[in-house]
Amino acid sequence: MICLGVIAAYVLIALGGMVYTWVAEMDNEDEILPLQQMVHYERKDQPPRLELSDAILGTDWAGKSTLYKVLLGAKTSLTVGLMANIIAVPVGLALGAIAGYYGKAIDDGIVWLYTTLSCIPGIVLLIALKYTFQDVTVLGLDLSGIHGLYIALGVVSWIGTCRLVRAETMKIRELDYVAAARAIGTPGPVILLRHVLPNVFHIAIIRFSLGFVTAIKSEVILSYLGLGVKPGVPSWGNMIDSARMDLFMGRWWELSFAVAAIFVLVLALSIFGDRLRDALDPRLRNV
Amino acid sequence: MTNAPNGDILTVEGLKTYFPVRRGLLALRKRFVRAVDGVGLRVARGRTLGLVGESGSGKTTVGRTLLRLVEPTAGRVTFDGRDVLAMSTGELRWLRRRMQVIFQDPYGSLNPRMTVGDIIAEPLRVHGIVPRRQRRQRVAELLERVGLAASYADRYPHEFSGGQRQRVGIARALAPEPEFIVCDEPVSALDVSIQAQILNLLSDLQDELGLSYLFIAHNLAVVEHFADDVAVMYLGRIIESAPRDRLYDRPRHPYTEALLSAVPTTDPDRRAERIPLPGEMPSPLAPPSGCPFHPRCPLTRRLAADLPADETETVGGDGEPIRVVARCTREAPHLRPVDGDAEHVHACLLRYDDPEG
Repeated sequence: MICLGVIAAYVLIALGGMVYTWVAEMDNEDEILPLQQMVHYERKDQPPRLELSDAILGTDWAGKSTLYKVLLGAKTSLTVGLMANIIAVPVGLALGAIAGYYGKAIDDGIVWLYTTLSCIPGIVLLIALKYTFQDVTVLGLDLSGIHGLYIALGVVSWIGTCRLVRAETMKIRELDYVAAARAIGTPGPVILLRHVLPNVFHIAIIRFSLGFVTAIKSEVILSYLGLGVKPGVPSWGNMIDSARMDLFMGRWWELSFAVAAIFVLVLALSIFGDRLRDALDPRLRNV
Repeated sequence: MTNAPNGDILTVEGLKTYFPVRRGLLALRKRFVRAVDGVGLRVARGRTLGLVGESGSGKTTVGRTLLRLVEPTAGRVTFDGRDVLAMSTGELRWLRRRMQVIFQDPYGSLNPRMTVGDIIAEPLRVHGIVPRRQRRQRVAELLERVGLAASYADRYPHEFSGGQRQRVGIARALAPEPEFIVCDEPVSALDVSIQAQILNLLSDLQDELGLSYLFIAHNLAVVEHFADDVAVMYLGRIIESAPRDRLYDRPRHPYTEALLSAVPTTDPDRRAERIPLPGEMPSPLAPPSGCPFHPRCPLTRRLAADLPADETETVGGDGEPIRVVARCTREAPHLRPVDGDAEHVHACLLRYDDPEG
């Protein structure tokens, strides 16, 4: 329950960040500034102090408030987690069910595809994809930024879902209710939709919640490498990247608060994912 | 088998279903599990053929092959005058309405995520049997027909007991109005008290709707109660087949004798000494030569004891070596009539000529 509350709080912060960014864009009198313009060189590199009011967690090299950066970074992390899984889980679910149900050459093809992809270390594949996406625009979306990140993460992370769904489908295919449907004359695609998918759907839900964590962590790593969201966009990965020179100068706050924000979210999501699996996976129901 | 006035609804000749198995380094050697190895059957219209055998004898595979759920290796299946194994997709739709199946496991045969009403309506929807608006009405009729309340249609399978689930499975099989139903051990998973209810239901349905059944079972007492004709399977082959009373009164194959001796009976005249069967059924990957039953056959052991050494052979790889009649290991038996009775056939080499042997 606590983890649900924590996740809800993060979602609210992310929504608040979206509203704030939108308001700042609409505001022409420059009373509400977007993060990129909150530059106050006169108070740069301040450690956390209560007197700083809106910069209670300290400031960075340009005098931007660490507190604002952490809060606005929530939106980036959550949308990346959501979008990467919206791409990856349905792909894994569909391909896994098709491979497991039809078998033979179709199965061979899909298994070949994902084993080939999974031969490449995930982070290397992500970096390669992001490099490929530099300055590529598809349907008006600039893939060198966050949209490319969604797609790259989607390409890398459907494999686990596909494997699990394929194995479960192969089990279900042999059950009598599938044999009964075939004896009735139900066409193959209808059997997949009515009999197989509803019985493997719990895997998709569990993978969605656990995949969130992976996607958030990958975003951080890629942004740290300068391949994630564009520089200047508030993101925890960008914060860690820009703070790496600060640490040995004794300026610990930007790094620490970004990491703390990631830690609490990832912990809450992981616990939530495990609980979800306990509740939905029939094999664990009697344990 | 009895020639019913309206003839046979289903005939099977020389049916073989082999499953390929790849073994060894690089899977270069391909071998076959001979699940069904030359089976012939006839089911008369409106009657019940009981197919009995141990687990692993291939009886379930026979049923699934008839339904075209498993592709056969060879053979001929004729249903209502049409060749089942050569059917096109369109003809298969015709077959799916007329030939249905009831499964053994009442838990595995119903999709846990569908309501009972949806499960029973599936054949109606797939074949467009009744218009959409009348489907609920038809489902309610079917539920009542199998002894369940029409209000159960909105419930899920896990809310039902094993017997009730089996009734749902029967309702689903009845929905497309079939003429022939493969009952694959329909009562084996149920309590004895429930078994009788389900058997009575199947029997009532047969009388009312003129259904023909292939009743697959391993319980000979149930088959004696339910079937008109009985065929006994061993290792993918039929080894004896006869109208029920003749088979139960006068089994000719030693395997049938052994099976029947294990059935508890209340008839003091028929209570015979129990014949133990040594060993287990051999692997259908490598069936024994000659008569497939010879490594376990009590008759061939008894006869071999009195024969000279050149007419016997010693077999038994992993167990104790045993002496059997040499002919049993060399000659493949075929079904032959008992005393000129064309309906009672058996496949025991040692009893071809000597009916009382």
